[in-house]
Amino acid sequence: MTASTDLRRTALYGEHVKAGARLVPFAGFEMPVQYAGILKEHDAVRHRAGLFDLSHMGQFMLEGPNVAQWADTLTINAVGTMKPMQARYNIFCNPQGGAHDDTIFYRLENDRWMLVVNGANADKMWDHLNANLAEGVRLENLHGRNALIAIQGPKSVELLQPHVDIDLASMKYYFCAQGNAYGRPAIIARTGYTGEDGFELFVSGDHAPEIWSNLLRDESANGLEPCGLGARDVLRLEAGMPLYGHELTEEIGPVQGGQQWALKMSKPEFIGRNVLAEQLERDDYPRIVGLVMAGRAPAREGYKVFLGDREVGEVRSGSMAPSVENKNIATALVAKDAATVGTTLAVEIRGTKHDATVVNLPFYKRAK
Amino acid sequence: MAQPADLLYSKEHEWVKVEGDTATVGITDYAQNSLGDIVYVELPKVGKQIDQFGNIGVVESVKAVSDLFTPIGGEVVEVNNGLDADPAAVNRDPYGAGWLFKVKLKDASEKSNLLSPDDYEKIAQD
Repeated sequence: MTASTDLRRTALYGEHVKAGARLVPFAGFEMPVQYAGILKEHDAVRHRAGLFDLSHMGQFMLEGPNVAQWADTLTINAVGTMKPMQARYNIFCNPQGGAHDDTIFYRLENDRWMLVVNGANADKMWDHLNANLAEGVRLENLHGRNALIAIQGPKSVELLQPHVDIDLASMKYYFCAQGNAYGRPAIIARTGYTGEDGFELFVSGDHAPEIWSNLLRDESANGLEPCGLGARDVLRLEAGMPLYGHELTEEIGPVQGGQQWALKMSKPEFIGRNVLAEQLERDDYPRIVGLVMAGRAPAREGYKVFLGDREVGEVRSGSMAPSVENKNIATALVAKDAATVGTTLAVEIRGTKHDATVVNLPFYKRAK
Repeated sequence: MAQPADLLYSKEHEWVKVEGDTATVGITDYAQNSLGDIVYVELPKVGKQIDQFGNIGVVESVKAVSDLFTPIGGEVVEVNNGLDADPAAVNRDPYGAGWLFKVKLKDASEKSNLLSPDDYEKIAQD
């Protein structure tokens, strides 16, 4: 573990300490893993609303007339076709078809984008962008300077609306707007990583503590609770969303990881395209599946997966899932013939095999 | 929270209540709080011989798997089956409904290897 003196702190560190959060090293920052408890926070997000500090994530500004064309050569999804104020999930691949990172592009103006990358990949991605820089593209790194506050849950519109000057109800999913929160400039996006409705507020680190504390002061009585990264991981896993380092890695790319929906093979050229095309053609690659365990023992990352006596893969993420009838759910990277929905596999837990069934992802989908 | 005075403790944050030749074992309030929401407890089978300070099972929170050590040796004579359906009892009531298992003592002198409530309190405050 890194010594705490080497860890960075987000603009909201003081708020977390005041609230008695449990802090852990994550992506080089001292981040709250929980406040009141993971299950309580999970319940708040599924039924009311939760507030998250995601300031460890990397925020880059991309500006210039050639950004769209340039970014389309580095990513699997389409950048140039995005509408102004639209947000779009995208993956940067390596030449072998593995994933450098999964990200979200926000088109703020015709020639200006914000790119949000995973905190653990922020340095790697900044180097990657600069190593591939083109004419007519300017980059600015706001990692650690800007803050990111997310409000997630079915009451997000109701609890956030009184404090912003944007009409939230009319904002479409995966769109954003530039406005103000408590009078402070904010990019407000209808995006998130929990499987619920919600918004992400990109604000200056200088303004983040007052926005955070004002929201909790004004909306705690209406159900808003601060939430940590522990609850976020359970929420995203239930919602079938990949976590970099687990379902996506430098070795596991978007075809294997289940992000084919974001893969635009109609683009003539981008890094990784040849290998991904070959994977699609051969269709014999190991792939990420969802598992539901039959028993009470949770499956954890790294546990071996069997089809009969044959080892066919390994667990990549696992948790007890409050929104899936408290069952234990997992993702696993398994051989093709073990990946059919309905197949009974076995997860080896401390030397004993436990039944698991392959299911469709996501495990949880909110009622519309 | 003060430690119950009628129990003995291990450095691994388990408690023991000795009554005659039988001991009841659980984890301390400090331990359950550190672990967070407990979702699964794996205990030794009834009849198993276990050695003092041996690794005899696991306690799992939402995020993590933690080894469970027995603070005292002997034969397992009963396990708390209620934890299968309600592992959160360990969080709610670590010294009561959240007890883990009972052992028929092999060697009562093993008690001298355990900590008094006051000595354990010093460890749990760190």
